[in-house]
Amino acid sequence: MALLERAEWYDIARATNWTPTYVTDSELFPDVMSGAQGVSAEKWEVYDEPYKTSYPEYVRVQREKDAGAYSVKAALERSRMFENADPGWLSILKSHYGAIALGEYAAMSAEARMARFGRAPGMRNMATFGMLDENRHAQLQLYFPHEHCPKDRQFDWAHKAYHSNEWGAIAARHAFDDLFLARSATDIAVMLTFAFETGFTNMQFLGLAADAAETGDFTFSSLISSIQTDESRHAQIGGPALQVLITNGRKAEAQKLVDMAIARAWRIFSLLTGPAMDYYTPLEHRKQSFKEFMQEWIVGQFERSLIDLGLDLPWYWDKMIAEFEYQHHAYHLGVWFWRPTVWWNPAAGMTPDCRDWLEEKYPGWNDTFGKCWDVIIDNLLAGKPELTLPETLPIVCNMNQLPICAIPGKGWNVQDYPLDYNGRSYHFNSEIDRWIFQQDPVRYRDHMTVVDRFLAGQIQPANLAGALLYMDLAPGEIGSDAHQYAWVEAYRNTPRNKRIA
Amino acid sequence: MLTPKTADGFRNNRVGPVLRASGITEGVIEAAEEDNPGKDIRVDDKVAYVRIDTEGELVLRRATLERTLGRPFRMSELEVNLASFAGRIETTDDYVRFYYEKTL
Repeated sequence: MALLERAEWYDIARATNWTPTYVTDSELFPDVMSGAQGVSAEKWEVYDEPYKTSYPEYVRVQREKDAGAYSVKAALERSRMFENADPGWLSILKSHYGAIALGEYAAMSAEARMARFGRAPGMRNMATFGMLDENRHAQLQLYFPHEHCPKDRQFDWAHKAYHSNEWGAIAARHAFDDLFLARSATDIAVMLTFAFETGFTNMQFLGLAADAAETGDFTFSSLISSIQTDESRHAQIGGPALQVLITNGRKAEAQKLVDMAIARAWRIFSLLTGPAMDYYTPLEHRKQSFKEFMQEWIVGQFERSLIDLGLDLPWYWDKMIAEFEYQHHAYHLGVWFWRPTVWWNPAAGMTPDCRDWLEEKYPGWNDTFGKCWDVIIDNLLAGKPELTLPETLPIVCNMNQLPICAIPGKGWNVQDYPLDYNGRSYHFNSEIDRWIFQQDPVRYRDHMTVVDRFLAGQIQPANLAGALLYMDLAPGEIGSDAHQYAWVEAYRNTPRNKRIA
Repeated sequence: MLTPKTADGFRNNRVGPVLRASGITEGVIEAAEEDNPGKDIRVDDKVAYVRIDTEGELVLRRATLERTLGRPFRMSELEVNLASFAGRIETTDDYVRFYYEKTL
């Protein structure tokens, strides 16, 4: 029997709206869950998802994707990648899996919310597939690191991170709760699928795949690029939702959601992807700098799509572009310095050749971030590693939950952006972070940063040991320099002024 | 350190697929050239992914892909290797189209 082509039956199969008789429409689609923004059900029905698939196609295609990812893993299982890889590369794997795997489960819940409460039938249809996609991603990214757990318990953090109060996990939860777990279906379509997935996931899942292939880790490269093919489809849930909002006079509301989501995503990726690309990946395997990947994926591709849909650049566009030059360098310096508080071993990425590369990619690096690393190098050469370890607390941003930091040395621009609200002082990393808070202070006001918790006496004893206990970082999991300071030897007989080529 | 060039990088009209490393890449490039006559098809190979793009609109037809790949091909199979794409997308049983509505 001949099967109809998809286009011949798709529209009628998708038409799943009906008139409820046992409950009211507002009970079936409560606004707090659907987030329809006052746009009627009929007006949402024009929603037309551009990247279509059917259930038979989905199952066939996903089966092939999984077969590919698992067979690459099986074929390379005896390749001794774990034993032979640079320690910096293993740190990328650990930070990736811990930061991402359970975030995928959260994204699955968000897709499920769209599948149930999405106001448009097409949105519900595509989100059903999106929900299955995110489940696949969570399972893959728990399964792939699991084989390394017996050799290195930091890999156990693929599952453990989100169940802990480790500071990076708090930051990730805060961002993901805000972007999609505690949002309506419409907000999720805009903030998760459009802003986060059409935009930023390309950085970690394709940009980093390029570095993985250069490094020879084809299992990871194949895995994350396979995941991104799902994202590429279900990320298209957001575009038509934006079009419905804009057509019905809700452009300002849509723009605000997009602006908040881009800002929050940018912080997470500058923490996670920035150091991975510019410091942890061995120099000879770096395909492009983090800034160049941002130019390719975020400026050249994502922002262009945003304009095409009828939105404007975020109000802080120039500020964010300026941050491309420094924010991830500052986060890297902080992560390396507070290295006992992460579940991976940060690679300094600080050989003389690395510094030449940084100076070439980010002119002025030696006069700014390089000045801090000079002090670290001097202390390590003097046999005083204790001076390169933290004894105090950073000031943590009340929005992004990361230390407030920017450019050190010449060009110093580190600044707190404070706000007094209802008798409490809040601190922010930038005008952008403060602006997000001001859009909905009630939503954010009660959250305590890890430092707030410390000062409130919730972390005992009130020292690094107590902090590690609070973060659930056990011996064998606590981070240390990935190369055990071997890189410092290159400077032992080199005068300071020769460090800079 | 900041250059206006970076901030203005969105001013482009390049559209097209980004394929993960796969056996269909060469066939897709060949089909892109055949299905978009007169257009300059740019190929940027990053090993893990290959960006194939051109100005304004890029079409890939199933019939062409079947010829360049030398085997039957369902249009939905493209998804297995379509890691990302620039522009908007239109998906049908017979072709996939990448395009922008506005020209910058």
